[in-house]
Amino acid sequence: MARYLAAQVFQAILVVLFVTLVVAVMLRFSGDPAVAQFQGASAPTAEQLQQIRQALGLDQPVWLQYLHFLGGILRGDFGTSFRGGTPVGSLITHALPPTLLLAFCSLLLSLVISLPLGVYAAVHKGSWGDQVIRFLTLLGLSFPNFWLGIMLVLIFGVTLRWLPPSGYEGGASLVLPSVTLGLILTSATVRLLRASLLDVLKTQYVTVARSKGLAERRVLYKHALRNTAIPVITFIGLQFGGLVGGVVVVEQVFAWPGMGLLALQAISNRDFPVLQGAVTVLALLVVVINLLVDLSYGLFDPRIRMD
Amino acid sequence: MKQFRTVLISAALGVLSVASAQGSTLTVATAQDPQSWDPIDTFLVAWGTVAHNIFDGLIIRGPDLKLHPGLATSWKYTTPKTLRFTLRQGVKFHDGEPFNAAAVKFTFDRLLGPEGKKGPQQANYSAIKEVRVINPTTVEFVLTDSDPVLLTKLSGYGAMIVPPKYIKEKGDAYFDTHPVGTGPFKFVSYESAQSLKLTANKDSWSGVPKVNNLTFRFIEEPATRVAELQAGRVDIATGIPVAQAATIKGNSNLTLQAVSSPTVQALRLNFAHAPTSDLRVRQALNYAVDRDAIIKSILQGYATPISSLQSSKSFGFDPALTAYPYDPAKARQLLAAAGVKPGTTIGVDFIGTDAVFREVAQAIAGFFQAVGLKADLKTYETNTFYSDIIPKNKTSNGYQMGWGGWTFDFDNTAYLLYHSKQFWNPDFTDKKLDALLESQHNLADQQKRLVILRTIARYTHDQAIDIPLYNQQDLWGVSKRVQGFTAPSDSLLHLQNVSVK
Repeated sequence: MARYLAAQVFQAILVVLFVTLVVAVMLRFSGDPAVAQFQGASAPTAEQLQQIRQALGLDQPVWLQYLHFLGGILRGDFGTSFRGGTPVGSLITHALPPTLLLAFCSLLLSLVISLPLGVYAAVHKGSWGDQVIRFLTLLGLSFPNFWLGIMLVLIFGVTLRWLPPSGYEGGASLVLPSVTLGLILTSATVRLLRASLLDVLKTQYVTVARSKGLAERRVLYKHALRNTAIPVITFIGLQFGGLVGGVVVVEQVFAWPGMGLLALQAISNRDFPVLQGAVTVLALLVVVINLLVDLSYGLFDPRIRMD
Repeated sequence: MKQFRTVLISAALGVLSVASAQGSTLTVATAQDPQSWDPIDTFLVAWGTVAHNIFDGLIIRGPDLKLHPGLATSWKYTTPKTLRFTLRQGVKFHDGEPFNAAAVKFTFDRLLGPEGKKGPQQANYSAIKEVRVINPTTVEFVLTDSDPVLLTKLSGYGAMIVPPKYIKEKGDAYFDTHPVGTGPFKFVSYESAQSLKLTANKDSWSGVPKVNNLTFRFIEEPATRVAELQAGRVDIATGIPVAQAATIKGNSNLTLQAVSSPTVQALRLNFAHAPTSDLRVRQALNYAVDRDAIIKSILQGYATPISSLQSSKSFGFDPALTAYPYDPAKARQLLAAAGVKPGTTIGVDFIGTDAVFREVAQAIAGFFQAVGLKADLKTYETNTFYSDIIPKNKTSNGYQMGWGGWTFDFDNTAYLLYHSKQFWNPDFTDKKLDALLESQHNLADQQKRLVILRTIARYTHDQAIDIPLYNQQDLWGVSKRVQGFTAPSDSLLHLQNVSVK
């Protein structure tokens, strides 16, 4: 177990390192961040730009800039933002909780909806209820989350005025972004759950369990569902990476002050330290979640040993 | 179940708090969080929109775009290179420390010193050699060079007067996120990427604000800004997209204010590539484009045609100079005279995420095709376009240039765009134009400058250096409960006289 864990952690560190390297190098080919500091009010002169480049350390070679960045991270220092010199660490500690909250709520919401629907659809395969669920989930998958978000804002925020259209002001403002993000995930999970459960229900041990005269509920929950857990959890773990991508879009629509918005603004500002910091943290998050997913297999299937 | 109930209750509370957020709070939604409130760290219009309610300059440029006394009651040039200011008395910063000559000196020492070096503002004030304290209410600016736009610059951004004791005690980093000035509103709280909350400064020298609280919310997505306005949770929203203008106009609780902005759009023409290196071709392209049609159909009338790269409010604007008329026959004739074969390709580059200009570029392509040319449209990402493609002369024959002349002085635009070897001008050199530009750059006599600037505008027009297209209007969505608000041309908000019903 310890060896497995060490190997996984080592792999995780390698992945994160690689991601930061790619981001740091690619960023340097994406235009001059000094120019981005002048958006709007005036145009920079060549001297102004040179001065800014020096102040931001951009006159140094790329490899040196990257080493500075890595060294900083090891000391727990993510550097300072090009925009006004705020420490990146403090920007991230402000932005991470809203994103985690949003991701957690969407995940919870999607599980609460998708588990019963998926099980129902599999058990009543071919019924009209199953047809409706399959239709709705296909519809759900086809909506771009950007569009869905704006529609929800218009219906529940503007027309009905039940919920705030955007912002980060407590429980009410959590609802629309969570639903937007959650619904996309829900549709996919329902379909996966239905398919996996149908596969499991066809296996021999289910037939055996049934022929032993076990109650159908017991067959379903004790035997079948448990074996469906692994593909579903794997899927959700993988989806988490996608969730991070979805967060970027959804946070933009709902002015949700999380990591997605931070990263997006950093891109348009060419704020290298902020973007590198945000990407590092997001990569770490995805890696850790996937590690936890791997570890959780043992809980559902004792045959899976971590070694 | 319990969890569900908590969600329900908090949802209900959320609805309640929406209803109770009225009273005497004015909420303004802007697109961008400037991330630092230190005047010397920024060059963002978004900063100006917000921070002129916190800070004052020695001079204030009002919504009429004229210069008014701010923290200085009067000023005059005692010699061509010394500018003397008499300061307002009895003014205090929000933290209680007095505003005086020492604060002015501290502000400019900081701006021109190592701290200012880290930000984009310093170079704008390079004409200032030093600030001398004559007595507590008089300061003298010693200049290295005369700068005709200096007074205008002193009314904005980097030249805002900051509190010496507060900054020395708390440090620059703290000041970034906890600004203190002399303005009509005091800092309450700032949540990055969310909001800045201010409260009325009851001791304000410029008049006690009519609302108790002023909140700025940062909402990048325009559709969301409009939604918040429609939901009644925002009173004023900046940057309404043309596509949403009708939505605002159709809402009985809202009004749309359109105001001519300093931003102009043009298609610059590349002198390094054939056939735009030929004057006749550049003129032909100017005749080929129907500016009025573009403004009417794409910008829904929220723009005016321009003949040079400046708005009608810019110093240097010449009402007598009119844009090339739409004359495709003349364009064809000029192209033939220049020996350009039908079907020749003209490349047009623009910023891909600019939805409005995308349509404009497509229309221009259509106009080019109508005179027998072929247009090749190419898109770029904003920053790549401005920092790599343009300055390194990687553009095609024509490329988008959106320009905000925030000093409202044509020199600021023309010098940087047309003088040889400037960052923004990688492809052409014109000795006559260089001489004209230099002759007014440091001239104190404004009347003479105006004449030269108009000559420059006419020269760029005759040489068809670019295809000046239109002067955009800024669209503001305003709730009808807001009283006394007029959208400013320069996006700088002064909200002390605005009230809410």
